[in-house]
Amino acid sequence: MSSIDAGGPNLVRVGRDPGSNPGSTRASVAIGFGSPSGDTGVTRLDLNDILVRHPQATFLMRITGDAMHELGIDSGDLVLIDRAITPSHGHVVIAVVEEEFVCRQLCKQAEGIRLQATRAGCADILAREGDGFQIWGVVTQVIKTMPV
Amino acid sequence: MFALVDVNNMYVSCERVFKPSLIGRPVVVLSNNDGACIARSNEAKDLGVKMAQPWFEVRHFERTAGLVALSANFELYGDMSSRMMTLVAQYAPRQEVYSIDESFLDFDGVPGDLVTIGREMRAQVLQCTGLPTSVGLGPTKTLAKLANHVAKMAERKPGSYDTRFAQVCHLGDVNTQTLHEVFSATEVGAVWGVGRRMTARLSEGGIRTVLDLVKADVASLRRQFSVVLEKTVLELRGTPCMDVDHEPAAQQQMMCSRSFGSPVTELPGLVEVVSQFASRVAEKARQHEAAAGAVHVFISTSPFRKNDLQHGPSVTVPLVRPSADTRVIVGTAVRAVQGMYRPGFNYAKAGVMLVDLRPQGQQQGELDLFGAAGDECPGAARADPSRLMDALDTLNRRFGRGAVTVASAQHQSRHGQHAGKQQRRSPRYTTRLEEIVTARA
Repeated sequence: MSSIDAGGPNLVRVGRDPGSNPGSTRASVAIGFGSPSGDTGVTRLDLNDILVRHPQATFLMRITGDAMHELGIDSGDLVLIDRAITPSHGHVVIAVVEEEFVCRQLCKQAEGIRLQATRAGCADILAREGDGFQIWGVVTQVIKTMPV
Repeated sequence: MFALVDVNNMYVSCERVFKPSLIGRPVVVLSNNDGACIARSNEAKDLGVKMAQPWFEVRHFERTAGLVALSANFELYGDMSSRMMTLVAQYAPRQEVYSIDESFLDFDGVPGDLVTIGREMRAQVLQCTGLPTSVGLGPTKTLAKLANHVAKMAERKPGSYDTRFAQVCHLGDVNTQTLHEVFSATEVGAVWGVGRRMTARLSEGGIRTVLDLVKADVASLRRQFSVVLEKTVLELRGTPCMDVDHEPAAQQQMMCSRSFGSPVTELPGLVEVVSQFASRVAEKARQHEAAAGAVHVFISTSPFRKNDLQHGPSVTVPLVRPSADTRVIVGTAVRAVQGMYRPGFNYAKAGVMLVDLRPQGQQQGELDLFGAAGDECPGAARADPSRLMDALDTLNRRFGRGAVTVASAQHQSRHGQHAGKQQRRSPRYTTRLEEIVTARA
């Protein structure tokens, strides 16, 4: 992955993207009395605005396995991945290892890149150049579903 | 100065983002019913697989060369296209979406070194989406298109051109001698709008390279060929003369897209333009005796206007049955816009594209399991739509485009599963929650 400047690419804030669901509707909330001034009405809080910083670079994946349990990521969780963020030491990332997607914590060391599991007993992965290894994106959010 | 940005082997590149095992392997994407190769990775090109080649002719490479064939996944390509288009639109005040993976940018008034900007843009699209692009720059669209070809070939086939042109090539930024070297190293068939038949005819007249064409007599070209070829030559010489309405159409796709003169903020205005675009592409499809398996619709604010709130949704709607019926296409596009529109945004462009095209006769004789015609067009049930469409085209030709149109938004068509056979389709990684990638932890 090519690196742009340290702060990641200078993207425009593109909020409130309903994505590709043509059925999505959004109610606006009337506040106070009379007509709102100007044409910028107030709308209900939207998770897209809150969770997604770079809509064009954000993807969803599902996690299987519990090697990242100590960082709050469990089997069955949804993760948001933001590819616009340049991966750095300490980030939880999705990497491609032996042609498969793996979720690990990125650890940059003098001897190279190490992908660490947080659960004891889960082997770390040492990244070697040239065998298709790539850091696919940085995990920014975890969505869990509670039993209800 | 214009740029033409496109994704290298778009469909294959989209597949590779979500399935890394495809990287480095020969891959083709097949058309509906898995009939023909509509996209090829470089490795597949190197095996000799030709564009539109029937699958049965290259099938043996599965065993002998590890060729991987996939059914087209238009939902995925549509979403990835929308991401890429929005990203590149930030770099220039005007964008013309030309096809699912190509867009022209007009850099008029943008300060800075355009090669540097082009490289930044390419790096950003690659980082954010995983899609590799090529960028061609030039003082006319035809030169930008040619520069894009050079950028691609210089990367793919080292030695074909100077390596500094790889990935990003600016033909408005080189001296005449270099430009002529590029022209003479390029066959005339690589020029925008010069098809195979015209290439053969030009070749008979001794015009084989782009340099031959540039030096040819314009007046006699016009007499022997067409005004379009004359315009092409003028553009190669650096005089812009291709406007949106007269430029060559993108291959394999039917697209109608425009930037608006002034922003549109209300739904009825958007519905009106999108209906126009939809009926125009439907007419185009019928002229080519093609039917679409899906309709891709987008609306967008201008990402270049950084102070505007941004909204750029797109949707790919599969049709129950492949169609070129204006009522179906317009109805589908209008419903898509109604679903995507949000008040409070300055929409700056919109587009309707027919994808998953196939010959029109192909679906005939199929059992009408869905009763699609009746459902999608109340009152028109069981009538042969082609006669109505012929009549509509005739009236529009006689009385001008738009003389007869569909009264928009009356159609509540349903859409269900794609009718075509798509045995090898990859998951719709970005549009269906049940089909997203699983990562191991």
